[in-house]
Amino acid sequence: MVEIARKLLVGLIVVPCLALTACGGGGAPAPAAEKAPDAKTWQQEIKGGPIEVGVLPAVGTPSLKFLEEVAAGLEKDHAGADVKQTFANTKARPALEQRWRAGDAPDVDYTMFDGTNPALLEWADSGALLDLKPYLDQVDSTTGKPWLEQFSPAVLQFMEHPATKKIYGVPSELSLQVLFYNAGLFEKHGITPPATWDELTKAADALKAAGVDPIAVTGLFEPYMGMWSDNLWLRTVGYEKAYGVLTKGEGAITDDPGFLTGLQMLQDLRDRKSFLKGFEGTDFTAAQAQFFQGKAGMILMGSWLVSEMADAIPADFKLGVLPFPGVTGGTGDQSAMLAAAQLMSISAKSGNIPLSLEWIRRVTSVETQSRRAERIGEVSAVKGVPSPPGLPGISDVVGKADRLQAAYYGLLQSKAKDVVYPEIAKLLFGKQDAKQTLENLDKGLRRVHGN
Amino acid sequence: MHKAAQRRIIVPFLLPALALLGVFFLYPLVKTVDLSLHEFSRTGATTFAGIEQYRLLAGDPDFFNSLKNTFLLTLIGSGMLFPPAVAIAWALSQRIHGERFFRFVVFAPVVLSVAVVSLMWKFLYHPTLGLINPALESMGLGALAKTWLGDPATALAAVTFVSVWHGIGIWVVLLCAGFERLPTDVLQAARIDGAGEWRVFRSIMLPMLRDLMRMLAILWAVQSLQTFAFVYILTGGGPFGSTDTVGTLMYRVAFDRADFGYAAAIGVALVVVMLSVAWLLNKVMKRDDLQY
Repeated sequence: MVEIARKLLVGLIVVPCLALTACGGGGAPAPAAEKAPDAKTWQQEIKGGPIEVGVLPAVGTPSLKFLEEVAAGLEKDHAGADVKQTFANTKARPALEQRWRAGDAPDVDYTMFDGTNPALLEWADSGALLDLKPYLDQVDSTTGKPWLEQFSPAVLQFMEHPATKKIYGVPSELSLQVLFYNAGLFEKHGITPPATWDELTKAADALKAAGVDPIAVTGLFEPYMGMWSDNLWLRTVGYEKAYGVLTKGEGAITDDPGFLTGLQMLQDLRDRKSFLKGFEGTDFTAAQAQFFQGKAGMILMGSWLVSEMADAIPADFKLGVLPFPGVTGGTGDQSAMLAAAQLMSISAKSGNIPLSLEWIRRVTSVETQSRRAERIGEVSAVKGVPSPPGLPGISDVVGKADRLQAAYYGLLQSKAKDVVYPEIAKLLFGKQDAKQTLENLDKGLRRVHGN
Repeated sequence: MHKAAQRRIIVPFLLPALALLGVFFLYPLVKTVDLSLHEFSRTGATTFAGIEQYRLLAGDPDFFNSLKNTFLLTLIGSGMLFPPAVAIAWALSQRIHGERFFRFVVFAPVVLSVAVVSLMWKFLYHPTLGLINPALESMGLGALAKTWLGDPATALAAVTFVSVWHGIGIWVVLLCAGFERLPTDVLQAARIDGAGEWRVFRSIMLPMLRDLMRMLAILWAVQSLQTFAFVYILTGGGPFGSTDTVGTLMYRVAFDRADFGYAAAIGVALVVVMLSVAWLLNKVMKRDDLQY
């Protein structure tokens, strides 16, 4: 009897476990996928119904309010349309990606594709994303030109799969890494906005002499410190070579002297005490706030800075925008810019593909993008959209850039991220010099890339 | 015959608990081990990898760094937690004026969310805009001012302190219950024999609380070995990995890199470490029951 009871107990625990294990691999059943509409007639096939779209702005922000207005317009124009907006920015990505894996993806989502990032090609390769090229090739009735021609050619590399040339993402906005400076402060102290690295160090010294910390930077988020080395290497090494070494593991970081040169320039900036006092323990929001409070003269940040900090910018603050300074004698790309396109992708399993296409068409229309640039301050990847008034000079900056290159060299989704950015942080914190940084980077990159 | 009948009655009563244990503990454990034997693509496609993830784990300096930090956090945290918790619980077990108010003050942080507490302390720790450094400077202790979260020498202790500050109320409540359960006749006898309060505390109360302390030490070890949220919000594991714990590493591997197989292997290793620590603590701190 005791034996039977014991077996019963074991069975009651183990059998459900094994059963659940056996069932667990497949994920949730996928929703019924709608056949992709004909590229020529998709606009006639738009019908009402619910769609879920990922959005980047957080609740309560003017940016989200703007998108809610766009959604309301869509619902008004298409009877029965019901647009549910889901927060899809960084912190929400893990949960959303799990939904994609389980076959329960939103109809429209961000960060599922980037043609310049090998780690973000997998979703497209697995057939999870809708190929948008047939739709983008059609003539848009409002412009009389193919929809694709509406976008700046510089962002095509982000939208397009490098191997198949299919398009899996459409940019709702562009994030450019630029050097913001406090124009009021520069004018007050007679400092020239820096166009070259030498001018940057001079400007930093002048600000220091005026009692202002030259550069705001956060010490609590390593990739933002890494923006400095990323941009320096762009100038001293060049994108293709740096991307090859850092992200793809092609060759060693010691092969090109430009890597060490870039690190030495960063060390020089550190040794001049150019960074915000106490930056090591300063969060990025606080660093950004200190810049707008006039406690620092410059900050290297994405062009989203103005829309993100809109509520904290004093009305009389005079902002200047510059490309990352060029490096005289540098063998890299002197006119390229690091950038990221915020791409919207459509799930191939979406239950309402025409309405999803209409959502991204509306969000990326010249009219919507122009209003967005003016009201929210987002930089657009759509041609003919004026520069955001809050970002004076950004069109000039973009106009002078001969190429946009992928921000962070696509490192953020790779193992090499845990090698590169902590070592740059150690350099900025004064824990090691440029040579030691290079040695440690070499060791770490060889370990993660196995070369 | 009687025992067999008893067993027949016990089994149905145990079934609900066993079913819950199976579904919410054993199944996830079995599934995690299963995951750790596979390699994952970002889209969730898997291939069987055998023990490859464990082989990689054995040579991964990031894992050993996070394990070292996790143990340090547990150790530093126990030093920060138990002496004040015991002292507060002892004080609250005395008949003091305003006892209820003090209990509230000690327990209040527990009801705050981890996110709120972390953001609050992130501000307090800020090197120039925060409250701690300016307070130190105004007291003439400017030399003690640090970039608390930005210095690898202080960051782990700073994060641990926040975790202890947030949770100490629970431990005080548990210790208060322990103090209240001490037999008053034994304590009174000691006092009649001329023992002072310190002597009563040291020679009678603490030995009698040994079993409770053992249990609390195991609970603290198990809790702190799983630390994630405070580190994730306050430092993200930085500066340069000095506060990276097994929990934050596992999260990064799983959700930044989508390497669920490797993350599962880290999880299994953590379970083994936790069980070993709990077993060791139980063994080391176990003493014969006191008879009185």
